[in-house]
Amino acid sequence: MKALGLVLLALYLAAAAAVPSLLDAGWMTLLSEVLLMLAMAQMWNLLAGYTGLVSLGHQAFIGIGAYFVFYFSDRLELHPFLLLPVAGIVCALVAALLAPLLFRLRDAYFSVGIWVFAEIVYLLATKTRELGATSGVALKSMRLVDTETFSRDTFWIAALLALLAVGGVYALIRSRLGLGLMAVRDNELAATSIGIDVWRNRFAAFTISAFGCGIAGATYFTGSMFVSPEAGFDINWVVGMMSIVIIGGIGTIEGPIIGTLLYFGLREGFTAWAGVSGSWYLVAMGLVAIAVMLVAPRGLWGWVREHWGWEGFSERRTPPATLLADGGQP
Amino acid sequence: MDWIETLINGALLGALYGLLGLGLALVFGVMRVVNLAHGEFIVLAAFGGTTLASLAPSVNPLLWILPVALLAFGVGYLLQATLVNRTVRSGDPLIPLLLTFGVGVVLRNLMVEVFGTDPRALDGGAFTQAGIEFLGLRVGVFPITVLFLAAAMFGGLQWLLAHTEWGRIVRATSDNARIVRLMGVRPDRVYNTVMGLALAFAAVAGMLLALRSSFNPYSGVERLLVAFEVVILGGLGSFWGAFAGGIMLGIAQLLGQKFDSNAAALYAHLLFFVILVIRPTGLAGRAS
Repeated sequence: MKALGLVLLALYLAAAAAVPSLLDAGWMTLLSEVLLMLAMAQMWNLLAGYTGLVSLGHQAFIGIGAYFVFYFSDRLELHPFLLLPVAGIVCALVAALLAPLLFRLRDAYFSVGIWVFAEIVYLLATKTRELGATSGVALKSMRLVDTETFSRDTFWIAALLALLAVGGVYALIRSRLGLGLMAVRDNELAATSIGIDVWRNRFAAFTISAFGCGIAGATYFTGSMFVSPEAGFDINWVVGMMSIVIIGGIGTIEGPIIGTLLYFGLREGFTAWAGVSGSWYLVAMGLVAIAVMLVAPRGLWGWVREHWGWEGFSERRTPPATLLADGGQP
Repeated sequence: MDWIETLINGALLGALYGLLGLGLALVFGVMRVVNLAHGEFIVLAAFGGTTLASLAPSVNPLLWILPVALLAFGVGYLLQATLVNRTVRSGDPLIPLLLTFGVGVVLRNLMVEVFGTDPRALDGGAFTQAGIEFLGLRVGVFPITVLFLAAAMFGGLQWLLAHTEWGRIVRATSDNARIVRLMGVRPDRVYNTVMGLALAFAAVAGMLLALRSSFNPYSGVERLLVAFEVVILGGLGSFWGAFAGGIMLGIAQLLGQKFDSNAAALYAHLLFFVILVIRPTGLAGRAS
């Protein structure tokens, strides 16, 4: 498994390095979008799939991250790429401040609470003249950017973020924290009774997912050089993340990858090749989601796991050999 | 005087908001299902209304409310019988939530393709414009009618649940769907009628809202948010709480509009957020 992982990693890096010289700008923009969406979906999955907190307000972090980079790169005369990680940290801080308020809310209350928070931030952005109010702002700091290499660099950042999101969540769920998260998700009472700090686990997952969505959102809008409240705080970000995660398989690492491929496959298939306009791909996506929930509620990857026994990037770990030798039952 | 008028109009708008949340509260209260497609059904009913109104322009659109509500009952019944029941059985509340999310995505985008994205509204004629003067205050006849309609529906549902055979069965199923099977009740069938009723309420609310303000296929998301706010303010599953929550939101909305005409919703959202943080289980919910 480890060897396969390394081979996949090497292939991914090689492909990412080769793409800019092989494909034109249109393809690179599309691939950047795919990779960023994958990163965001993985972040949403970390929260919903591993802690059971269904967020309907993650668009808040995407918008905040984007606006942060747009405003401060211009003000501080900094290259926008330099501020991308800072945007993530700002979003993590926002999440850390929100957590004490939102974590008092359970289930649907949490989902709606964070959605209302996102709406409040959206409405504030539409009222702030410094940020271009309702009409949005262009990336003024483009003057500091080398336009020749801009789209290539954006693509590489997107590729790095997707890799970090997938690898990071994988490493995380196999860590002590991840095991705690899953224990809480499966049975909160039992988890508490063996000494797992429920609040701290949720807090960690929430801030990490805000961090990831913040960077990914900032990268997306930096790449498109324009952000408006309508676009940045669009609920459709969450609709996309959610569709991808539930179709691919909630609470699995592979799920968001499969879901992202299917989502963009449907979108490009319908609009670019079949020439079917507008919203039909979303209708198809919704139908797939309904079918998956009826037939395989754990998503496509969950179904594969159950029926074919594939483990993939499993959170399951084999206990150390010494433990087994001592007579412990695996 | 101006302020009192705003308060009254806010309360009247709030009655309609309460109605937006009624179906959502009913479905959650009985089967613990969060229906994320609720807003889309509200908008779908409004599109049903505009379609009927354009087919028969001489008929007052208010008369279409009852037929559309009956149709919505059938849609809800079928939705529950064919799709949602299969996921309720799993016992995991996340699965029906995600299923209705998928239903919402499909409906929203189908409406975009079928009806287009131009804003529409129902024209109720002179009735929706009329107002009455009372002690120097001017209040619309239509909003008052809506208030009475909403109160009648809240009261009617409450009465049905509290005093009829059907209501006892629904409450028993809500308490324990396994035990009622022993009494010869099929929980699935109870759920079917409950979902039908919930969508009928949504349809009435959707038609009434379409008589007040314009909508397009994407309005469902805003409608869902309002419905959610109403229901959660009241405490999930509590009907009178939802009614009170709706009225609070309506007043906050119109007072906000008075302060700041281009961000009325901001103040309603802020009020909601503050209340939720102070009382995480809503106004009528038990203190945690």
